[in-house]
Amino acid sequence: MLSIQHISKQFDTVKALTDVSFDVPNGQILGLIGQNGAGKSTTFHSILNFIKYDGTITWQGHPLSPDDFDTIGYLPEERSLMTKLTIEQQIVYLARLKNKSAKDTRLRIDDWLGRFAVKGTRKSRISDLSKGNQQKVQLICTLIHHPKLLILDEPFSGLDPVNADLLKQAILSARDDGAAIIFSSHDMENVSALCDHLVMLRKGEMVLNGTLNEVRSQFGKTELYVTTDWSATRLATLSGVADVETRQPGQYLLHLTDPAVGPDIFAELTQGHYIEEFSQQPPTLDEIFRMKVGEDHA
Amino acid sequence: MVLGPFLMIGLTIGISYLSANSASSSRQVAVISTSQPLRRDYIKQQDSGLNTKITTVSAAKSAMGKNHLAGYLLLSDNQQQIRADYHGSSQMSSALKAQTQNFLSRYQQAHNYQQAKLTTKQQRLLARTPVLQQHIEKKAGTANLAKTISFWILVTMIYIILITYSTIAAQEIASDKGTKIMEIIFSSTTATSYFVGKITGILLVILTQIIIYLLGGWAAFQFAMNNASLKPLITQYQSLIDTVLHNLLSINLVYLFLGVIIYTLLAAYSGAIVAKAEDASKAAQPVIMLGVFGFFATFPFQNNMDALLVKILSYVPFFSSYFMPMRIINGTVNGWEQAISLVVLLAAIALFAGYIGSQYQRLMLQTDNRSFWQHLLHGWRHQS
Repeated sequence: MLSIQHISKQFDTVKALTDVSFDVPNGQILGLIGQNGAGKSTTFHSILNFIKYDGTITWQGHPLSPDDFDTIGYLPEERSLMTKLTIEQQIVYLARLKNKSAKDTRLRIDDWLGRFAVKGTRKSRISDLSKGNQQKVQLICTLIHHPKLLILDEPFSGLDPVNADLLKQAILSARDDGAAIIFSSHDMENVSALCDHLVMLRKGEMVLNGTLNEVRSQFGKTELYVTTDWSATRLATLSGVADVETRQPGQYLLHLTDPAVGPDIFAELTQGHYIEEFSQQPPTLDEIFRMKVGEDHA
Repeated sequence: MVLGPFLMIGLTIGISYLSANSASSSRQVAVISTSQPLRRDYIKQQDSGLNTKITTVSAAKSAMGKNHLAGYLLLSDNQQQIRADYHGSSQMSSALKAQTQNFLSRYQQAHNYQQAKLTTKQQRLLARTPVLQQHIEKKAGTANLAKTISFWILVTMIYIILITYSTIAAQEIASDKGTKIMEIIFSSTTATSYFVGKITGILLVILTQIIIYLLGGWAAFQFAMNNASLKPLITQYQSLIDTVLHNLLSINLVYLFLGVIIYTLLAAYSGAIVAKAEDASKAAQPVIMLGVFGFFATFPFQNNMDALLVKILSYVPFFSSYFMPMRIINGTVNGWEQAISLVVLLAAIALFAGYIGSQYQRLMLQTDNRSFWQHLLHGWRHQS
């Protein structure tokens, strides 16, 4: 398990992290979300001992040391490969740094290139690959040694939906192998689909921490999805409705000021009317993210 | 890059050969005379530089007009007087002039003796000349020359290798600076291991270059020994060559290699402290300046090895690689002094490598904005 306890980091006068604490058990995925500059990369750099910090970080019960390097897979935010090398040379070089034999790595390269549908052969030069394919090669370099601690900084950025699905499968496969995985993303759909646990940072402080359901339930069931022949203007007159969004003609999303008004609205809408849809839910992660960012700007 | 010096030497020899061949015919002199015995005797005593095919003044003038001939020598024997008139576009070469003068004197003298009808004894008495002989201590002269040659070869080798690899080392390190690949690497191995690996790689390239030069030198020597025209030259200077080789293939090679190591470390550190990769060429400047300073600082002392400054600098890392070999070549230093200087140099290398290794991750990842001096002050405050 990766355990982060009360870590803080200050760069000159800027507080990058303030008392951040969370755990990532083996076989689980933690999503780290937050705006640019919220402290996500600083958290990753602290875990990897790239920077000095206050607080405690342990991996499998002890502070991370060079002996643990072989069990770590790290994908930095910006992609960077040795462009003069071929795909094979690059993957073998980084695998050798993880104490994996060149022979074994070479045997598995074609399989990995196939899994990520990389357009190129093992002899293709990195500089000749498209940006997307370079990113896939970097992902292969991160995963090929079967890490037990996977740290992925914005792994989905720049990937199209098809390739994002391939990456999701690879992350889930690593989780099933028992890896503790922490990743950052601005794509809340991917975070919702993958994470067992969620942490949101804002200006270096934790503003959300829990499972997806725990986080969503903190906000109450303030979202009401209805399909009705009522007009948006009429729906807006209902008591307890803050705002109405038209999803499709006849399909609306009502933002409630108080979740308790749901039954009253249901009774009002169904008086002598058949309605196809009435679903009261907590806000989506995307909405929660916007709300939390909005609180800061307010 | 490694083969550069060999290519330069090859090109120089080739160009010189072509140039010499094309210029030789235009430097020749024709010999013309109405007296064939006189012309024949003159040609016989001259070994080179003559065009023997041209026998008339008109042919010689024509060849000179086409720039195929430097000039012609008109020999005549009128009324017991031997005479030579040189016609050319420039002065006779001093060698040709001396040889011609010598020939004319001997020829005229023989002619005079014949005309005077002198006895053999009288001829021998008149031929007697005073003696001037120089007595040179050849061994001491050779030893001094060997020292000078050894000194120049050694300091030039250090200088060339240092200038070449300082820039390469600084650029190698600086080009990695701030790149995300460094984050991946430092999540896989320690910064110290990576730094030592990188420096070792550069040093192995340097070692390979030195070995190639040694093999190239050996091959050239073997070629010269088996070449009919060069062998006499080698044999003539055998003792000089042996002394130079002895001076070079000794502990001085260790000083050369260690000197390159410490300068490479400094270059690597300079590369690591630049703000951005584009400044890599600037980063190597202080190292190059230090190397150049060491190189030129040796000049005034090559004939004054007992100077106090030479003795001091032969123990100071960065300078000892220039000054201690100078003293060793000159034979003004004992084994203990050499050992102390080597230990100081090795210790400096170890300490320097350790310090850079400990700072390398911070510098390469640019994870804080403190300068070198701020770090140094911070370290002192914590120690005191």
